[in-house]
Order: sequence, then structure tokens, then C-alpha cells
Amino acid sequence: MGKAERSKTAREKIREQQAAERAREQRKKVVTYVTAGAVAIAAIGAGMWYTMSRSQSEQAGADLAPVTIQADGSVIMAKDGVTKPVVDIYEDFQCPACKELERVSGQTFKNLAAEGLAKVVYHPITIFGQEPTKGNSVRAGAAARCVPDGKQWVAFHDLLFENQPSETVEGFKTDQLIEWGKEAGVTDPGFETCVTSQKHAQAQLDYSDKINKRENLEGTPTVKVDGQMIDNSVVFTPKDLRDTVTEAAK
Amino acid sequence: MNASQASHTARSAIPWVTTVARLVLGGVLIAAGGLKIGNPADSVVAVRAYELLPEPLVTTVGYALPIVEVVVGVLLIVGLMTRVAAVVAALLMLAFVFGIAWAWANGLRIDCGCFGGGGQLGAGQEPTYLLDIVRDFGLVLLGAWVVRFPPGRFALDRPLGLAGAEHPLDDEENSDGQG
Repeated sequence: MGKAERSKTAREKIREQQAAERAREQRKKVVTYVTAGAVAIAAIGAGMWYTMSRSQSEQAGADLAPVTIQADGSVIMAKDGVTKPVVDIYEDFQCPACKELERVSGQTFKNLAAEGLAKVVYHPITIFGQEPTKGNSVRAGAAARCVPDGKQWVAFHDLLFENQPSETVEGFKTDQLIEWGKEAGVTDPGFETCVTSQKHAQAQLDYSDKINKRENLEGTPTVKVDGQMIDNSVVFTPKDLRDTVTEAAK
Repeated sequence: MNASQASHTARSAIPWVTTVARLVLGGVLIAAGGLKIGNPADSVVAVRAYELLPEPLVTTVGYALPIVEVVVGVLLIVGLMTRVAAVVAALLMLAFVFGIAWAWANGLRIDCGCFGGGGQLGAGQEPTYLLDIVRDFGLVLLGAWVVRFPPGRFALDRPLGLAGAEHPLDDEENSDGQG
């Protein structure tokens, strides 16, 4: 082997080593990148899982507890003889956060009442002062007051939240309300004229006014357990809501 | 040689600008996500208020958004996977710009819900669409800067060897000591 040849192989060797070194670096870089990416995605996934599991609605349990419509328009849902704890729900059919409350925790209220763990009282009120939201809310609230039967009332209440209109348009129109009433099982012959004439619009406004003053509401939805306002983070977490109510029952 | 020196100074300032951009963008994301993360229901309501996404997507986006914001914000602050994080952050901000412009164009009267809240305007409150759009668009630009000149000073990407030597600036920076 000549001198030139030897030095050539040495050079080649160095070059090979450098190439191998570069390849190693590259591999290391890929591994680091993939690891960091996987950790970031896992963090997002874990956060999502936690949030969604905490916001998971309860399954529908037994039949509804007996529902009684009060003269003032509030509605009591409780098993016979259950008088406490009292869970007061102040909500507006047009309020988006109330729709979300019903979506997430509506079933929990029903289950708690059905299990005899609480006396649930719905207070449909109107909190909006501007059109079109005020008119929408009053029409819906007045229509709910036309429903004569408790079970039908709860079904109608659920349908109203499911079909809540945008806050920018006129919604909850009387013909829609009549349609949803029928869907909720209302057969009362007076229902249609009651809704169309908005017979109870003033009662809805008066009741809202009275409740607003009496309860010092900061907004809707507001949920009180035995008169104590419950924080929204609890109200929107079915498990925590259930725990709070069962704790109050003791 | 003054011109070349000046250009050298300007160039050596670039990584610092990137760092500042990372801190601002990351800080805003963490603040925005952190304020929403404890009230996922509000976040869902705020997303729904835009009337832009179909209902099944509304809940997913509402729950995911605060978490994504916080994670991407943290990545930007520590300078890990800087370029990818900046791309995601810039796209998020661009989406917000679009969303707010959509709400404005459609005559909705909402609060952007950017920093928590359910997207509802308080009594007597007016929408602040222009301000929100200008702010978010500024953040898009910061994100674009970071995408163009990653990862800046004080970035984990560098010790981890993720800085990517393909950029000429990085070479120059490496030789700073000798220059």
C-alpha cells in the first residue's frame, strides 16, 4: 500500500466517522422531537379527558319524580314527602349558559329528585331587558305557564332549551311554541290560545321582577341549595353537584 | 464597514426579538387558556355564541381550546419545538381573527370570550371587535416572526439540539464568541 493510498483511506475513515456522527445526531434529534411532541399531545389529551369526564352528564335514571306546577309559575319536582334539601334553579329560557347547564347537569337535577335526595324547584324567569332576547324569553316563559301538567311541563322545558334561538333574532315564536307543546304531550284544548294570546306574559314579567329582587340574582343560571348560592364550577360538574346536594341532605 | 457592522448588530438582535415575541405570544396564550380552563362550560358557551361551528364540534372545541392554548403557550415560553408551537399559535390567532370578523359581519353582539366568560356582553356593554381583531392579528405577526426566526435566545430547543442548523443565522450565532 502506497503512502498516498494509506492517507486516502484515513481520510475516508474520518469522513465515514463524521457521516456516522451526523446520522447519530440526526437520530437523536428525531427522537427528542418525537418525545417532546408526544408529551405535548399527551398533555392535551389528558386535559381533554379530564375536562370531558368531569362535564359528563348523568344517565337518565328512574322515572321523573312527581312534578307540581305552583300558582306563581315555579315548578316543584320532588318525591312525596321529600322537603329538603331544596335545590332552586333560576334560569331563563333564552340564556345560553342556562342551555349549557341543562345540557350538562339537567339530568342530575332530575335524578336527584327521582332518587328522593332533593326537592328541585324550577324558577323560569326573564333576565333580558333588550329585544329580541327579552321578547323571546317572555314568550317562552309565558307559554310554559300554559302547560297544565307537570310531566308535560318538564318535557316542554327541555325542548325550549334544546331549541333555544340565537340571541340576535326573534325566536320562540308562538307557532313554534305550540308545536313544541304538542311534542311535549300537551293535549289541553286551551293551550294554543293561551300561547297565542300571551295570556301569562305579564305574570312572567312580574314573577321575574319579584324573584330578581328577592333573591339578589347576579345572573342566570343561579342554583341555590337550601338558599345558599352554589358556585358555577360545581353546578357545571355533575359529580360535584350531586356531592354538594347529598352533603346538604345530611 | 459601518454599514456592515450595523447590519451585524441588527442581525444579532433577531434572536432577542424572537425571544420577546415568544414570551408575549406564550404569555397571552397561557393567560387566555388559564382563565378559561377552570370553567369549561363557559368556554363551550363562548364558542357556541359565535354560531360558526356545528353543535358536536362546539363542545369539543370549547373543552379543548383552553388546554391547547396553555400547552402551546408553555412550549413557546420554554422554547421547545418552537417552530411547530409558533405555527399552531399563529393559526389559532388567525382562526380567532376570522371568528371575530365573522361575528362582526353577521351582526352578532357578543364578547369575544378570549379571556374567559361565556361570550355574553354585560348590560350596557358594547362589542370590541376591532380592538380584538387588531390585538389577535398583532399576535399572528409575532407568531409568524417566530416561525421565520426560531428559536431565539433562552430556548430549550438549543441545548436539546432541536434548533436546526439549516438557518444561516444559527451559524453566525455559534461563532459569536470568536467574532
